[in-house]
Amino acid sequence: MAQIKAVVIADAGPIIHLDELHCLDILNDYGRIIVPETVWLEVAYHRPQALCAQVNLIRQRAVDFSPQVNALTPLYTLHAGEQEALHLCVAFKDSLLLTDDTAARLAAKNLGVTAHGTLGVLVRAVRRASLSKSEVLELLRAIPSQTSLHVRASLLSEVINDVERFTK
Amino acid sequence: MSIQIHTQIPDQLWQQAQSMVEQGWINTMDALVTEAIRRYVESHQQELSEHFIKEDIEWGLHGSD
Repeated sequence: MAQIKAVVIADAGPIIHLDELHCLDILNDYGRIIVPETVWLEVAYHRPQALCAQVNLIRQRAVDFSPQVNALTPLYTLHAGEQEALHLCVAFKDSLLLTDDTAARLAAKNLGVTAHGTLGVLVRAVRRASLSKSEVLELLRAIPSQTSLHVRASLLSEVINDVERFTK
Repeated sequence: MSIQIHTQIPDQLWQQAQSMVEQGWINTMDALVTEAIRRYVESHQQELSEHFIKEDIEWGLHGSD
């Protein structure tokens, strides 16, 4: 069994979306949840209450700048928060990047950084038994009305079906 | 950072691309290939997003970490 990543570097999207669903605490499963300074400021602007949730978010500025991330920045049009998150991912070897941004995920793949998004960690909560299947299904169904996460309706239905069928 | 790639391109397409470089529409063949890939990637954002979501669900339900 693969070991749970000790360090999670979070982009703004998953923090905001999980807080919109009032389930940011599912991240407590991870050892350290680092929020890059630029991302922290972004969340503070768009969803300040997320930073007061029942989860220990560590505010941290990147100090080591990876030339690889700098090179990928124009190629993938990475925003400041995504760039800083990737710099931190490179600095913390074997970390997990949480992002819902496609370009950031592509850049992460290029750097060999593991990345997952809001839906992934939400569904993982069933496998990890942090939440029950019915709780996660309820949260998934609430995504269109309760969050700013955009997922095509038919794709969300597929996800819901996958979770309904899931047995340990 | 950049990487070197080896690929096969249809002859006619390659000649068209070379002609564009020679006529100065773009500086180098490297720049043309990079631009072509960038445009492809940008135009497939939705497909990519959905691909990543499916990858996430697979990991979420059946991963081991």
